[in-house]
Amino acid sequence: MVDHKDAHEDILLAPIAHTGPGFYWTVAGLSVFILWGAIAYLVQFYYGLGVTGLMQPVSWGFYVTNFVFFIGISHAGTLISAILRLSRAEWRRPITRMAEVITAMVLFIGAGQILVDLGRPDRILNVILHGRYQSPLLWDATSISAYLTASLTYLYLPMIPDIAILRDRLGKWKLFYSVLALGWTGTEAQQRVLNRAIAIMCVIVIPVAISVHSVVSFVFSMTLQPMWHSTIFGPYFVVGAIFSGIAALIVAMIIFRKTYGLEPYLKPVHFRYLGQLLLVMSLLWFYFTFAEYLTGYYGAEPEEMKVFWAKFSGPFWPYFWAMVLCNLFIPLACLVRLGRHTVGKVLAASLAIIVGMWLERFIIVIPTLSFPRLPFPHTVYTPTWVEMGEFAGSLALFALFYLLFTKVFPIISIWEIREGREEGVKEVEERIKSYLPDEIKGTA
Amino acid sequence: MENLHSPSAQLIRKLQWIWMIGFILLVLGIITWFIHLMRTAIWLGDVPSAAIGIPVVAIPIFLALASVVFYVFWGLAVRGRGQ
Repeated sequence: MVDHKDAHEDILLAPIAHTGPGFYWTVAGLSVFILWGAIAYLVQFYYGLGVTGLMQPVSWGFYVTNFVFFIGISHAGTLISAILRLSRAEWRRPITRMAEVITAMVLFIGAGQILVDLGRPDRILNVILHGRYQSPLLWDATSISAYLTASLTYLYLPMIPDIAILRDRLGKWKLFYSVLALGWTGTEAQQRVLNRAIAIMCVIVIPVAISVHSVVSFVFSMTLQPMWHSTIFGPYFVVGAIFSGIAALIVAMIIFRKTYGLEPYLKPVHFRYLGQLLLVMSLLWFYFTFAEYLTGYYGAEPEEMKVFWAKFSGPFWPYFWAMVLCNLFIPLACLVRLGRHTVGKVLAASLAIIVGMWLERFIIVIPTLSFPRLPFPHTVYTPTWVEMGEFAGSLALFALFYLLFTKVFPIISIWEIREGREEGVKEVEERIKSYLPDEIKGTA
Repeated sequence: MENLHSPSAQLIRKLQWIWMIGFILLVLGIITWFIHLMRTAIWLGDVPSAAIGIPVVAIPIFLALASVVFYVFWGLAVRGRGQ
């Protein structure tokens, strides 16, 4: 008889134990874009920010757009994973690890955008030595450092039992896995300690994640710039972040499902649930966008209206309407009926949303700076190959980090799948019974 | 099972302690940075309310994170190994 425990472990450890030519081809492909990004950065470092499309008054361009976008994507993981864990949603088990990895990886890339935007990276020392808490930029640095630490901790703790499996079953990197496994043997006492720590982390990480994107929005909303000075920017950014985060998670799930043959773990039902969540977030995003723009329009403050019309029918109209198409109409068309071709429909919606949410960040950052309150001549920002290269390089670097992670650690939590099979089914049955009224004695 | 007193087990234990101490030092470093900024702001009278308010929220979060990691380390690597 086949030992099912070992069969599952074999499937999930296969990407770590064996490396095919596809891996090297992918690394080579990603390296081309990373090289483009590196050359672009070196050119910028040598000649200064003049090689970018940045100027006065548009001093924030692609880099800050990318920063907000990447930090938004980071909400995929920790927040979704923590909410699903706390609500004891059983379908979370094959998803949480993938989500948590996105957060940890993309936060580095997001924070890196600010270093690139500084032009001279040594200036980061000024923030460390002479930073002023009057500036929301320093609030950002504080909250992102907390989020990064929390996310790495939250990624690491649930990985400990899996690292112990790698230590015991894999022939390579034994010392590395032994150190990280912290002597895990799976005793009841160890399991109790770990479960308690994960539960505490779930509670800590949710407010930290929400604070991060609220604070990112404060960088804009604390100014008096037209269409930035808004009280709903905090929740608007958080909703957008979760929205783009779920989309990024779905894309990652579909890629690794196909590449590593994880179809038995990532079933259409997982995509259906995530698709439904995506649909809700799409409607919520539209609600916030509508409320934001209606308030500005009704107030009809002249400086606000310049930016408003620049987005609706001015130089930024293609980006604005493409954003609406990608974030509302395509998701609606794909996700309202998920009967057949669930995975394909959810993938199409997710890709559209990733593009749409990047455009949303662009539409928030650039038009306001192009039409500022102060009497600057109106200008239109055009990114150069340097900024394009940085963006392509950042995306490729994120993909490479993610890929390398899957070659070192299992991308689906082995012990959580096992726990679900051994205990989850019984626990869910008991939980459902506890929701229902007790049987009345004496009735047929 | 591997002998707890074998050279490789001792090396693993040492590296685990280094990893744990490294994490604690990272957290302490970040807290020191917050305190430095707070002290500078108070000294210069530069919006001390924000300079106090934000670290007062952030420092306990970092302490909580360090406590959770240390709790797991102690529960698994120190006490768990003994059991």
